[in-house]
Parts: sequence; C-alpha cells; structure tokens
Amino acid sequence: MPKKINLDIASVEQREQRLGTIIAWDGTTEDLHKQSSYELRGQRERGTGCGGNCRLCELQGPFTQGSVCSEQMVECQAGNVRDAVLIQHAPIGCGGGQVPYNNIYRNGLAMRGFPVENIRIINTNLLESDMVFGAADKLRQSIDDAYKRYQPQAIFVASSCATGIIGEDIESITDEKEAELGIPVIPMACEGFRSKHWSTGFDATQHGILRQIVRKNPTKKQEDLVNVINLWGSDVFSPMLAHLDLRVNYVVDLASVEELAQMSEAAATVGFCYTLSSYMAAALEQHFGVPEVKAPMPYGFAGTDAWLRELAKVTHREHLVEKFIQEEHARVKPKVEELKQKLKGVKGFVATGSAYAHGLIQVLRELEVEVDGSLTFHHDPVYDSGDQREDSLGHLNEHYGQVKNFHVSNRQQYQLYAFLQENQPDFLLIRHNGLAPLASRLGIPSAPLGDEHIAVGYDGIVNLGETILEILAHKKFHDDIKQHVKLPYKKWWLEQKDAYVLARHPELVKFDEEEYRAEQERKEAAHA
Amino acid sequence: MAKELRQIAIYGKGGIGKSTTTQNLTAGLTELGKNVMVVGCDPKADSTRLLLGGLAQKTVLDTLRDEGDEVELDSILKTGFGGTRCVESGGPEPGVGCAGRGIITSIGLLERLGAYTDDLDYVFYDVLGDVVCGGFAMPIREGKAKEIYIVASGEMMSLYAANNISKGISRYAAKGGVRLGGIICNSRNVDREIELLRAFAEELGTQLIHFVPRDNVVQHAEIHKQTVIQYKPQAKQADEYRQLARKIEENEMFVIPKPMTQDRLEEILLEYGLMDNIEDDYRI
Repeated sequence: MPKKINLDIASVEQREQRLGTIIAWDGTTEDLHKQSSYELRGQRERGTGCGGNCRLCELQGPFTQGSVCSEQMVECQAGNVRDAVLIQHAPIGCGGGQVPYNNIYRNGLAMRGFPVENIRIINTNLLESDMVFGAADKLRQSIDDAYKRYQPQAIFVASSCATGIIGEDIESITDEKEAELGIPVIPMACEGFRSKHWSTGFDATQHGILRQIVRKNPTKKQEDLVNVINLWGSDVFSPMLAHLDLRVNYVVDLASVEELAQMSEAAATVGFCYTLSSYMAAALEQHFGVPEVKAPMPYGFAGTDAWLRELAKVTHREHLVEKFIQEEHARVKPKVEELKQKLKGVKGFVATGSAYAHGLIQVLRELEVEVDGSLTFHHDPVYDSGDQREDSLGHLNEHYGQVKNFHVSNRQQYQLYAFLQENQPDFLLIRHNGLAPLASRLGIPSAPLGDEHIAVGYDGIVNLGETILEILAHKKFHDDIKQHVKLPYKKWWLEQKDAYVLARHPELVKFDEEEYRAEQERKEAAHA
Repeated sequence: MAKELRQIAIYGKGGIGKSTTTQNLTAGLTELGKNVMVVGCDPKADSTRLLLGGLAQKTVLDTLRDEGDEVELDSILKTGFGGTRCVESGGPEPGVGCAGRGIITSIGLLERLGAYTDDLDYVFYDVLGDVVCGGFAMPIREGKAKEIYIVASGEMMSLYAANNISKGISRYAAKGGVRLGGIICNSRNVDREIELLRAFAEELGTQLIHFVPRDNVVQHAEIHKQTVIQYKPQAKQADEYRQLARKIEENEMFVIPKPMTQDRLEEILLEYGLMDNIEDDYRI
C-alpha cells in the first residue's frame, strides 16, 4: 500500500518527500521510466528505506529554481477561488505575483462566463520590526479587513520565506479567527525554500482545502457529479461528460467555496494532469471515499478512450461509454486525417509541466507530428495514489513510443537553447512564462497554451493541430526577430552540445580568482 | 595619536555569568579611566542591570517599534556606573519573531545614530548563550568586535559550548580580523577547575586570561543591583575583577582558535576533570 496522505498536520508534506520528485535529468523517456520504477514505488510504502524507494538519480547543476516558487502556485489556486480571499503573510515583494494572477483570473472568469472581477489577494506588508517581533497582530488585522471588505466564504493565508524563517505561528491565528468568524481560515505552508519544486505549492493549497473546506461527513451523495481538478481552462469537460450523464465540478480555480466543499459528495475525481491532481484526488479517495479515476490522462485516442472507459466504470455508466467513443472516433478521425496531411514533416518540441507534457506529446504523435525532444520542469517518479494505471510516462512509451531527447529542466532558458539546437523543431508548445522569448529569438514560433484544456479529449487533438497550423503561419515574423536579435550567451555556450555540462563538470564553473584578476587587468589595460 | 577603539564580544554558555562578568569587568575598566559602552545583545535585556541599578532601560527594539524611525540616541543610551554607556538591544517575547534579526536591526540602528563616538575606548557586546544563528554572530561580523572572550567554567557543558563558539570564531576569523583573546573562568568550584581550564585554553591555542573565584559577594551585589566594585569596593572579589580588567587592557595574545573534536574534549575532561583521591566526594 502506498503511504496514506496525512491530513492531521497543518503543513503539506513536500513533493520530493512524498513522490521523490527530481528537477534535473537527461535521457530517453524509456530510461526515465525504467529508473522511475513506477510499479515498485507505487506498491511499496514510501518513506521506508530502499524498497522501491531508492532516490531517482538527479543531475545536480548550479542553477535550480526558475522565476517561480510554491507561494505563487498558491496564488494561482487559492487566489482564484471565486468567493474567498487570499492573504499573503509576506513582505510586499511577494505581492508582485498579484499582477499576472489577476490577469489569469480575469481571463478565466471570462472564458467560463462568470462576471469579470479583480482577484482578491491581500499582502500583510511585513517590515523589519515585524521580522523581529513577529506580526501576529498584522495578520489578525488583515483577516478582519478581508472579512469586512469582501464577506468571503473562506480566507486562505499563505506563509512566506520570511515568516517561515522567524517561525511565525500562523496556524494558531487562523484557528482563532476561524472560531471567531465562523468561516474556514486556512493556513498554507508554501515557503519558497520548503521544496525544491514549486509544484509543492499546488499541494499546499489542496491540503488546506481538504482539511478545512471539504465537507467531512456529507449527508448526501451526488452520483452524477465528477470533480475535475484543473486550473482556469475553458469548459471542455462538461460537454464531454454530458454524454455519460455526468456533471462537472471544476476545482480549484474559479470554483466557489461551496463547490470545493461538495467534492466529498461527488461520484469520482478526474484531472487533466496528474502533476496538478495527484494529491487532492488521492486524498479525496483515501479520506472521503470519492474514487479517483485511475487511468491514462485524456490525451490522444488511446488515452481518451481508456480514460472515458475508466470514468464510466467508476460511475457505473458502462452502457453509455462505448457508443460515445465510437461516435467521437467517427466524428474526429476524418478531421485528424486532414490535419495529418497539413502537418506532414513538421517537427515539434514540448516544454511544459511534467505529466501535462506526456499528454501533449501523445496528441502530437496522434497527429503524426515528429517529437524527438521535450523539456519538463520536474519529474515525479510516481503519483500519490501509487496506482500503475496513472503511470503517464509509461503510457506514453507504451502507446506512442519513447521520446529520445527527454530533459527535466526547471525553466532554465540557457538549457533550452541547447535542447533546441539538438532537436531543431519547427514550433514549441509552451505553457509557462520565460521560455517562449528564447524560441522566438531563434526564429521558432511557440504556442502559449494559456488555456490548459486545449488538447484534452478527442476535440483536443483537432484543437492542438489547428493551433499548430496557426502558429506555423507566424514563421516569417519569427525569422525577422531572429535576424535582428543577439543572444546573451557566450560563444562557448552557443557551441555547447550538452545542456547539462555544468552539472556533469562542476569544475567548469569554479571561480578561478587568478583568471578573474587577469581578465580584470586585461580589461583595465584595454580601457587605458 | 588617535586611540583605537577596542570592540569586544563576550560569549559563553547560557547562565555561565557573561553579564555579571562583563559588567564587573567594565566597572573595573572605568576605574582605569576608560570610556566604555556596553551593548546587551540578549532579548531578556538584563545585560546592563548592575551598571544602571535595575532594568531601567528601554530597549533599542522596543523604542524602534514604538517610535518608528525617529529614534533619538538619548532615548536608548543610558549612563551607568562609572560613566559607562549602556544600551540594551532587546528583542521579541519568548517564542515569537526572531531575536537574531533583532540584534542585526539594533546594531545597525546604533551605528546609524552615531553611538560609536571617538572618545570611546571600549565597546562590549554581551551576547546570548550559544551562537544559534547568524544574528547572534552579528557583533563579530563586518568589522565590529574583533576581540572575543569566552566565559566558561569547569563544567562539561560550558566547555562544550566554548568549543562550539570557537568554531564560529574560526569561521569568521578566516574572513575578517576576529580573534579570540582568551577564556575567562567564572568558577563553579568543580574538581581541578583551574588546571582543566588551562589545559582547555591551551588546546584551543589561547590563554586562560583570568580565573574568577566563586564568591557569594557577587550574589549580594546582584541583589542590590550593583557591580561588586560599586557594592563592596574593598572586597577581595572586586580586586579579582580589577585584575581581569587590567589583564584585558594589557592583553596582546589574540589567536584564531583551533576548536577540538568531541573526543579530544572528553579526553581533556578525563585527564583533568577528576581528582583521584576524592573520587566519591561530590561536595561542591
């Protein structure tokens, strides 16, 4: 049995401790799958020595985190709950994320047909004396202000590096305020240094929701309700699930607090990406008896077929599913054939979050787009349920073949340069900020998949194909950019074949004082 | 010739008598005509109690919190026995905030407010127990205290702490001019204490600068909120502190300590810390 998720303690267990997450690796997907040994890890109790629990080897480079942290993942989840408020108990700089996340929140509301409004995130603006004396009263005041100003149904409180270092007792204050205000006031441990990978921030939010919002002993069951753990993507699940007489309960983003609370009444939980859904889906099953649909993710024909069949099985709708699958194949296959013709000879590269990349590669392979290379921000050798049917990398290898140049790289633009030289793609699929500009400078158009649902299901194959055709039409524009920009790297790096050379040869970045002085002298001499 | 300001940090295990020793020693230095400032770096803010005749001092951090950035030097610097200038850094209530950050904040403020005047001969930093984080090492960073004395006794845990503090000193010594000036023994009357402390100091590469015997007059003076030199100037113990002051004034032995391994420390204890002939006599 895999280790049971512990909801008794206020802070979430870091992803690397639960799952053995790594952030740097280089090889083929088959090698990575073999080294991950999903099956063994899933079966044995994790955290008990080297029984299927050996650490997956990881490259140790000089650079790790790339422009994001766990706290920001909390902003983009807890901050996007429609009738809640998020308080950042942090110095004001942490509030920088409010700007992009407001943009995302407003877009999400518009896409789902909700009235567009601003995100509600409050920052406690911790100052020097708050660090010395603690800032319990400031937090109390912010909670009161949030309650008065917005009458929220829940208040989330995010910790920060600063409060983590001084050991601020956020939990006792949220307990006190929860009793006083009569709404959930939820502490979340998301200090940036707490985990080597920011996806722990997803888990921190979900942990808080599971502990303090999800109804503990629901009096009713909603047998046609399916929890869909997602971000802010367009509503593609409702039409699909309607064919199985199922309704969608989208969580966490853009959900109301009541929609989060009713998760325990649902018939099943699904996700679009195991990186995001792993923790909450497993905990809902373990602690609330809501089964997680354990299947490949809904990408490409094989993935979507298997996913739908498992969902139908869990929700007792087997009688509806085969007909739907058949109809969808018949409807979508001609369009896919057409797209295949148009995309003939095109080569792609996928640079996204971990499990999501596995899904996107499946869809590209379905479209017969060549994918030799990919970059994922981290890799989880196993997901929280430990169930082998969720082995997304294994599914990719088995049904769509391996990816030969597979790189785990946590948003390191300098490495992407080498990957693109190696793979020479015609386009990139990207979801996160920071990487697309480099591709543009190299004359490669990218699809910024802001709507994470674009490639989900049968229609997703068509959607993604059409998006690729669209961005390929921007090739000339990108060629122009390439003509007019210079990359910031030295010749040595531009000629470097191995993107991980700094990890494999740490001596290369060892500071040589003599050489540095000599260079300074040369520069000074040249100046004179 | 402009005289050089000597900045001295006093470290040692919690409860060993750092504050008592520092205040009595500074009282001795004022008798030598020296201008001394004592900066208490302990959230309990009791480092200047004997010089000021009680906990009369509003701490730097409390003042900063109450008055914001408009703090005046006069409101945090009080004059005590023998003209000593006394400052208490202060800190948060036990269990909240960050006392280490508090020391960083308050020393920064003292510098900004110009507390380090040219007429000073000595600044003493009386630092809380173990150097548990970066904040408690602040007095020996960035060219502040360059001289350190460790207060210790013959008790095992006090030597263990002293050895650990030496590790911190050797770390900062590598980068800056921080040096260990010696070990001050604040006697607990344990077996062969003076020999043990001498051996320990020698092993560290430093000296036992003075052995302060145990004397109940210290306790009496403390109850009266005074240093021994003020309370009973004629007492033998007052002379001990005067001697310590003179030895520090004349000290020329400043070293980078060589911290020992736990095994070596225990060997020294075995070698010196027991008296063969009175093995079963546990009177102190």
